[in-house]
Amino acid sequence: MKIISVLLVLVASCLSGYMADDEGEPRLLASKNILNQYLVENKDLTVEYKIFNIGGSAAQNVRLEDAGFPEADFQLVAGNVQATWERIAPNTNVSHSVIVRPVSSGYYNFTAAEISYSAGADAKKRQVGYTSSPGEGGIVNFKEFNRRFSPHVVDWCVFAIMTLPSLGIPFLLWWSSKSKYDSKPKRS
Amino acid sequence: MSAKAAKQKNLTKEEELLLQDFSRNVSTKSSALFYGNALIVSAIPIWLFWRIHQMDLYQSGILFVVGTVISTYLVSLAYKNVKFVLKHKVAQKREEAVAREVMKMISDDKKMNKKEKDERILWKKNEVADYEATTFSIFYNNAFYLVLLIVISFYILRNFNPNVNYVFSVGSAAGLLALFSTSTK
Repeated sequence: MKIISVLLVLVASCLSGYMADDEGEPRLLASKNILNQYLVENKDLTVEYKIFNIGGSAAQNVRLEDAGFPEADFQLVAGNVQATWERIAPNTNVSHSVIVRPVSSGYYNFTAAEISYSAGADAKKRQVGYTSSPGEGGIVNFKEFNRRFSPHVVDWCVFAIMTLPSLGIPFLLWWSSKSKYDSKPKRS
Repeated sequence: MSAKAAKQKNLTKEEELLLQDFSRNVSTKSSALFYGNALIVSAIPIWLFWRIHQMDLYQSGILFVVGTVISTYLVSLAYKNVKFVLKHKVAQKREEAVAREVMKMISDDKKMNKKEKDERILWKKNEVADYEATTFSIFYNNAFYLVLLIVISFYILRNFNPNVNYVFSVGSAAGLLALFSTSTK
């Protein structure tokens, strides 16, 4: 199951007066995507956050915080669920990734991460917004996933070794007897 | 009259020997060999279901035991049937070669009369046919069973629940094997 989330227009700018003439205001768009095709129990799951500043000025002290991966359900493998950028210049973007591991299988609702920033160095009030939310995703049982997708090369090799005596021994015994009596007339 | 009676007696003895040698019943030794082999080949699928279909050995233990026992019985039945059919064919094929070998071995023995020689040949022929039929039957049935099992379990029932897959693939592979063994006649 591929989760493709749609870019969500950040609410932050809206809060600060979307209608106003705000050429100089920073405006952030943020997305949260899960890059794995299959979400599997105890297997790495990569989450990517992208933040675009489409506003006219730089966003200061940008802070991304994702509370969507509680410790009870996910194990953090690499990266951090919190990230900060001092400034995001206008018309640029930044990205952040985190790798987590789901500890159990089942359906899980992947919610939006929170993002906050200041419009300027002197701005007192911080703007708060949210990324897109990837939505509900089914985390596949590890056994089930292995059953379907693992090539099991070693297991098949062991199987071959196990079957070899039960096929090889009777065949060789039969063959030795057959060749013993079959070749006789030709020799004489 | 007495000669005729003696001849009759001889024939009966020979017939008895033939009946015994070519009957469907197998000796205890051969039966043990069949059951042993059938058990091994029936137990091999457990590995596949444990490792590849990811079944739990303890949880499905009863299923594995029951499946293996039923499969062992059916596979040994197939061994016996195929051996019985093959033995006649092998005996006919090997007749000449066996006779030549036996004659060569006993050619020095001048005391032996024709009847004794014939008996020796018959005995040897029976032994060779029995041996070849047994080994070939085991080889053929093992190979056929494993092929059937893999095809059923990994192609036909691939998307089924592993427990259902095990029951049906082992059951039908052994069942088909037993069925085919009776129809080859």
